[in-house]
Amino acid sequence: MVVLLAVVVIVGLVWLARLHRGGTRPDRARTESAGPGLPGRPLGGKRVSPALISQGRIDVRGLTKEYRGVRAVDDLSFTVEPGRVTGFLGPNGAGKTTTLRMLLDLVAPTAGTATIGGVRYADLEQPIRRVGAVLEAGAAHKDRTGRDHLRIICQSAGIPLARADEMLELVGLGVAGNRTFRGYSLGMRQRLGVAAALIGDPQVLILDEPANGLDPEGIRWMRDLLTTLATQGRTVLVSSHLLGEMAQLADDLVIVAAGRLAAQGTVASVIGSMTYLSRTLVRTPEPEKLAAVLGSDAVVTPTGEGGAYITGADAVAIGDAALLAGVAIHQLVTQLPDLEAAFLELTAGKAAIR
Amino acid sequence: MTALLDSAALDEADDTGTTLARLFGAEFMKIRTTSSGWLFLTGFIVFTALVLTINGFGHHYQLYPQQGLGGPQALAEAARSRTPAGVAAIAASMMTSGQLFGVLFALLLGVLIVTSEFANQTAAVTFVTVPRRALVIRAKVAAAACCGALFWLVGTVLAAVATPLFLYTQHVSMSLAGWTVARSVLLNLLAFVAWGVFGLGLGAVLRSQIASVVAAMLVYAGSFGAESLFSALYNLFHQGWMLGAPVIAPAVASEVMITSGPAFPYAPPAWVGGVIMIGYTVALVAGGIALTIRRDVI
Repeated sequence: MVVLLAVVVIVGLVWLARLHRGGTRPDRARTESAGPGLPGRPLGGKRVSPALISQGRIDVRGLTKEYRGVRAVDDLSFTVEPGRVTGFLGPNGAGKTTTLRMLLDLVAPTAGTATIGGVRYADLEQPIRRVGAVLEAGAAHKDRTGRDHLRIICQSAGIPLARADEMLELVGLGVAGNRTFRGYSLGMRQRLGVAAALIGDPQVLILDEPANGLDPEGIRWMRDLLTTLATQGRTVLVSSHLLGEMAQLADDLVIVAAGRLAAQGTVASVIGSMTYLSRTLVRTPEPEKLAAVLGSDAVVTPTGEGGAYITGADAVAIGDAALLAGVAIHQLVTQLPDLEAAFLELTAGKAAIR
Repeated sequence: MTALLDSAALDEADDTGTTLARLFGAEFMKIRTTSSGWLFLTGFIVFTALVLTINGFGHHYQLYPQQGLGGPQALAEAARSRTPAGVAAIAASMMTSGQLFGVLFALLLGVLIVTSEFANQTAAVTFVTVPRRALVIRAKVAAAACCGALFWLVGTVLAAVATPLFLYTQHVSMSLAGWTVARSVLLNLLAFVAWGVFGLGLGAVLRSQIASVVAAMLVYAGSFGAESLFSALYNLFHQGWMLGAPVIAPAVASEVMITSGPAFPYAPPAWVGGVIMIGYTVALVAGGIALTIRRDVI
């Protein structure tokens, strides 16, 4: 027993001594990447191999999470493709965060699967070399410096501690790295979260509300960064409820409401699927005559400036009717709904706190 | 821009998979890089110095009772204390000064190692970085054990400086290399390690920082009520086993484990205390690991 105790003490002291020398691990033979897309190699935007695409694809199938009888996520299925920014939208309480946490093996699903490249997160070899995640802006110890926060992640993942400094520079926290997390603004906390997510040069990025608390310059920085990462062939899944920001940033959308899928597709296809929300602006000297010939389905609302919005009849029907009736048309414009209108329509009545 | 994340550091990354040693290093970094670890160590040093001083005075009056105080009993006691066995007991007592409450520092640091992850919401970062939760908790167990050992080492070094000085000033001589002293010092190490790990297990089971700290204090302080409780029960029921039963309280078990001779009248042998203390610790850690694997990290 005495020998055992002595060994415990000695091992502990040796470790302490090593940590005080800077914590660097002994040099290892450099591991060569076996092909494109392995961690450490930037991904060429236009040369994404099929193997890489399947490695970076996020696949959610029948995902369900029940908390005390309430279905926070209810039989949710969607796919997220590499090389694109996918916006994950939904009202508060729609199950976005729970879904992302199930994807990262933090929350166990009641049913269904969530895989990255066909593999559950928990089964990934070296997960942070494959997947980076920004979960909460407040997720660091208040007394710890930003640099130490990143160094601990490096140490856990077997990445040299110098990587922490590289990431601080990348996110613009080079100077603030030695300050404690307590003194960080919300924007700085978001940047630190992004730095932590990118430590392993991951192919897949999952971000939960990364734009929260960022100033306009910070939002622009985040948008440019995520767009660049997607252009490099990475998968970028970003949840948000800032619709204007998403409309600018996202290529694809996954919209959830009350834990269920409301819509999925490219931004254009999601909005395009809502043509019944579109309206046509018409300028004509004889609006009453035009309204009379359009039929009962059409609703004509005068704009007050010599024009009218017409719903219930598309531009072709309006043009044809005007020609037949001999009404002059000075302007005929189809207005598609914007993302906000589409979102509100898709999630209508499902935003309640459950 | 395609080289956005290219990195010399990353090219040197260790691809050999997660190892316990690497995680153990990370856990030690976590302790090192916050103020609470250092505060605990400072508090422990101050506390140990204080207890050494108080013990020194106590043993001085044991060896040299003041005239008129204590009478012939105190003089007989003093004579016994000056025998080699008596001096060895005093040396052992000095060398383990502060143990009674010193292990509280190890216990509470053990609690903090795991609960601060939940209090500061870093648990998600930790488990995303390494999804193998059992391995993470095992690394924390190792870190808590080493923190306990470190506290022991610091306390023992302080005592090893103070004890010979004290004995010299008291005009008694005693080699610290004797088995009585060495046994006490080494069992003391076992107590510090066990309490550190006990705190960690408790924290892993309860998760809440406040609840765990309160529970740890209650377990520790409440243990000392066990003797009164069981002697009251004995007076009622006169069952012989009740006299030794206080050993089921963790702090009493720990005391029985490290005390040479009976820790209290009718105390069971030291190994019984050791088995009970280690049993609690192992059970808490096993429960903590099982719960950590099962519970959602929100």
